[in-house]
Amino acid sequence: MKTIIITKKLDYPWLHDILPGHHPLLVPLCNKPFVEFLIDFSILAGSTAIRIISDEAVNDVEKFCEKGDRWGIDISYANSLPSDSLHKILEKNSRFCSDQRIMIINNILFIHYNKNADYRSYFASLPSGDLPGFGKKTLSLTGSPIASANSRETPPLSMVVLGSVGQYYQLAEDLLHNRLLHYVLPGYNNEAGCYIGRNVVIQKSAKIIKPVIIGNNVQILAGSVIGPAAIIGNNVIVDRNSSVASSIVMDNTFIGEELEVENKIASGNVLIDPESGHSLTMEDPHLLSSISQTIGSATLFLRIVHSCIAASLIIILLLPYLFLRPILESRGSWSTKQILYYSAKPRCKVSLPVTTLRKKGLLSTLAIFFSLDRFLWLFKVLSGHLDIIGSRPIEVTQRSKTHHRPGVFNYAEAEDWPQNDIDSDIVNHYYAVHSNFFKDIAMIQKALFNRIHQEDTV
Amino acid sequence: MIFQLDTSTDTTIGIAALQVRIDANNCGELQKAFLNWLQQSANIVFDCSSLDFIDSSGLGTIVSCLRKALEHKGDLKLAALGPKVSLIFELTKAKQLFSIYPDAASAVSSFNAITAGQ
Repeated sequence: MKTIIITKKLDYPWLHDILPGHHPLLVPLCNKPFVEFLIDFSILAGSTAIRIISDEAVNDVEKFCEKGDRWGIDISYANSLPSDSLHKILEKNSRFCSDQRIMIINNILFIHYNKNADYRSYFASLPSGDLPGFGKKTLSLTGSPIASANSRETPPLSMVVLGSVGQYYQLAEDLLHNRLLHYVLPGYNNEAGCYIGRNVVIQKSAKIIKPVIIGNNVQILAGSVIGPAAIIGNNVIVDRNSSVASSIVMDNTFIGEELEVENKIASGNVLIDPESGHSLTMEDPHLLSSISQTIGSATLFLRIVHSCIAASLIIILLLPYLFLRPILESRGSWSTKQILYYSAKPRCKVSLPVTTLRKKGLLSTLAIFFSLDRFLWLFKVLSGHLDIIGSRPIEVTQRSKTHHRPGVFNYAEAEDWPQNDIDSDIVNHYYAVHSNFFKDIAMIQKALFNRIHQEDTV
Repeated sequence: MIFQLDTSTDTTIGIAALQVRIDANNCGELQKAFLNWLQQSANIVFDCSSLDFIDSSGLGTIVSCLRKALEHKGDLKLAALGPKVSLIFELTKAKQLFSIYPDAASAVSSFNAITAGQ
């Protein structure tokens, strides 16, 4: 079976209050994005492939779900027009739908299911059409049931209509109080009703009252009380002596000192009363504010140093480059192709000219000596896409599990490790994590020196 | 800010209708005016029906007004808090400091009830 997930932006205008600019499928519920619940459910129902169709850009959803490797499922993406009917959408995706049974999840952000129930045989045995208990064309099946499939009982399955911020809040609280064990949720769960993410700092005098869900990179400062029924997102700071109860604190939010967040949703500098739907945008950053990832002064200094080195190398190498490249090209020792890589800038890609230099004669040896094959890459340091030294750039066609800053020269070649090898990845990873100004300078020298001994370059 | 004295009952009560916004720019003005109002009556009601936004400076000013009213053996009561303003009062726990009434009339009558009780 395959699954099609269809969402339309206009059906969820209230989500804009909670997380403006976010795709509805990425809005978190108990710190897990809606799309992940739908993927989990599709897999439980026996799907091997999912297509996510939306009438707005799905770049962020694609970035989050990628190709579905994380779930062991194929995920693809398609766009639709806001005016497209379900029939039209299926027609546009007929190739995806042609060979197997299709489960259509149309405009539903949340389906109640239980991870321990058997949905596979139930869905295989159902006839085509809308599922009983669901609205028209919300959850439906196409194709014939599998003759051998036999489901004795109906597993727990229901839909939640999310039409307001209040319903979203009610759903989150319901999950937290009654259904935590029905779903796979992020975080460590050593005891019932308590999920805690990575890198969470809870000061000694802070108090955690179950049920509670705390995301990654959270700081709960002294005297604070979290819970009961609190959902704290990722990258959140709760300042001293504040309390959060029966509330949802969305990602990247700072809760100031001595505050009481009760029956509310706090998202950045916006405080929402889910019952009335009223929201207040705080102008006082010490009360409630959004946390943005800023470049630290040390990082900024390092970037400036990298840019200065790149500018100096450009000035030094300009003449050799202009002189040697045409000659080597005419001799066939120099060939270049453009490859798209992940950039050091988040969510950006950068096209780099990858030069192959054949070591034939004095001039090509000189070109390798001066690292002229990387000359054009130096300009990408000035534009912030690369560092002078960093990880080996990763092609966009490859799966990138960790994101490090790519460099003109990489740490592995500085340490003379073989390229394209797991060892070089480990070296790159180590230095990417432990790099500092002095180490970087030393590594640049080493990288330049090691390239002198190199034979052909790629 | 419109200030008027209510003399319909035995006690003279000042009713001040706060403007749309109280923030760092105009809270000094409120503080100054409040001192004048205190000369006329120590029992004051802030009618917040038109108040749409208040920041921490504004909130601090209102708390300071309450303190001054209490020093003058009077009280400051709030009436008709809008939903947005209510949010900030709840968040900062300032709701616990004030007597809050749904409208100015009930705030005024609450003063009378206290006087009658005495």
